[in-house]
Amino acid sequence: MSLRIRGLRKAYGGRTVLDGFDLDVAPGEFVVLLGANGSGKSTALRCVVGLEQADGGTIETGSRAAMVFQQIHLVPRRTVIDNVSAGALGRLPLRRSLHPLLFPRELREEAMACLDRVGLAGRAADRAGRLSGGQQQRVAIARALCQRASVLLADEPVSALDPSAAEQVVALLADLARTGGLAVAAVLHQPGLAVRHADRVVGLRAGRVTLDERAAGLNPADLDFLYGEQGAAA
Amino acid sequence: MTLTPPRRRPVTLVTATVTVALVAVHVLAWEATEFSPAALVQGWAGMADFLGQALPPDLSGEVLGAAVEAALVTLYIGLLGTTLSVPSALVLAVLAARTTTSGGWVYQAARTVLSFLRAVPDVVFALVFVTAVGLGPFAGVLALIFHNTGVMGKLWAEAMEEIDLGPRDALRTNGASRVQVAAHAVLPAALPQCLGLLLYRLDVNVRSSLVLGLVGAGGIGFLVNQSIKLFRFDEMVTHLLVVLVLVVAVDQLSALVRRRIGA
Ligand SMILES: Nc1ncnc2c1ncn2[C@@H]1O[C@H](COP(=O)(O)OP(=O)(O)OP(=O)(O)O)[C@@H](O)[C@H]1O
Ligand SMILES: [Mg+2]
Repeated sequence: MSLRIRGLRKAYGGRTVLDGFDLDVAPGEFVVLLGANGSGKSTALRCVVGLEQADGGTIETGSRAAMVFQQIHLVPRRTVIDNVSAGALGRLPLRRSLHPLLFPRELREEAMACLDRVGLAGRAADRAGRLSGGQQQRVAIARALCQRASVLLADEPVSALDPSAAEQVVALLADLARTGGLAVAAVLHQPGLAVRHADRVVGLRAGRVTLDERAAGLNPADLDFLYGEQGAAA
Repeated sequence: MTLTPPRRRPVTLVTATVTVALVAVHVLAWEATEFSPAALVQGWAGMADFLGQALPPDLSGEVLGAAVEAALVTLYIGLLGTTLSVPSALVLAVLAARTTTSGGWVYQAARTVLSFLRAVPDVVFALVFVTAVGLGPFAGVLALIFHNTGVMGKLWAEAMEEIDLGPRDALRTNGASRVQVAAHAVLPAALPQCLGLLLYRLDVNVRSSLVLGLVGAGGIGFLVNQSIKLFRFDEMVTHLLVVLVLVVAVDQLSALVRRRIGA
């Protein structure tokens, strides 16, 4: 089991946001998280990568999990390859990592391979800010790959992208799971994308899992329940 | 049907009190500074006398040459004082910006050092260094390094606090250390603002190195001081004209570069 979350709890100022959240994602599996605004999806992922501190529960990820964000969060002024190489900072000694000029050659080669994996090796020398939103999100995924994580999390990676770029990015995530053996969990707000690409769909409602099904078996009634009146944490 | 607008807020007791207090403080200030238009009128004869001696300025080659040479020294003091304060300002800014600091006592200590360096005017630093290393431009450079570290460090720390925190968080989840995050997310994002502030400080520092000269730290300020002491007001005006050219040139250059980098 690559990602294993048990009984995750989190409250902000007495308001419960995660109320015993469980999630398993196996290597090679692509799981999509669905749920209304405020149901706790982002909070759960942020707890896994350490951007939030959970109040209780356990999280196992093997190595450190990698994460991509809706707002992408590249450094626009830096080149694409420098952004991707930055994924490896955690394993570089300080003296080789203070500036991109100091990055070892093997790292730059590895970064090129990661870029090639997302189909953007040709844009390596461009400034990240000059790429389209969809391309930037794929660069962010390449950065996550360069981190060599076995778990990849994505929080609404396609919410700001046009439909065709969104399709491409979600297909890439699915492919990284299937042929790359990563455990991939992505929050999406488009059930259609989930049905077309995911292995499994997990639904959150008020900080708990209320739905866990094979993507193919998803039906409209499930969605009505997820996005119904009390879907968000009250 | 017409809608009735909400009633205007009445002048409150607070507004009235603040107004009275402001007027009172200004009256006090007027008296404490011995502000007196009458004295100015009475001193008019002295002013006319002064102007008579000062005009026309002494534009002889000798005076002008010495002035230009000294103005260059003033420029160099400002330049070195600014450049050499970059490393110390950078380190203190990183430690004092909430986006990069490790927090706790490091943050407090860095803030305190910056506040101290900012609070002590460069002229005071210059007086101290003139005593330590003697009269001359070197004391001026040292004074600027200290004071400018405080001012620029504070400005840079603020620029670093204003950046978008997303890239920083993204690198944190990669397992990057604080220093790595500062080098790869915060500094690149804050770079244009920091460069703009650097140029702005260069402009200010060239102007203050003139004042430093007045207290003995070299450059054209020193010449201005001397010509006043020798009652050569015509030479003094020449010096001031050269200063004017220097200050306008540096100001324009700095503004031009700032526009080009969009900061
Ligand atoms: N730092 C915070 N402080 C206080 N409340 C927070 C904080 N972060 C999130 N919350 C609250 O926690 C709840 C869950 O937020 P979360 O961002 O996890 O929801 P989400 O499922 O990702 O929603 P969305 O679909 O809108 O992204 C929300 O009610 C939100 O207001
Ligand atoms: Mg969210």
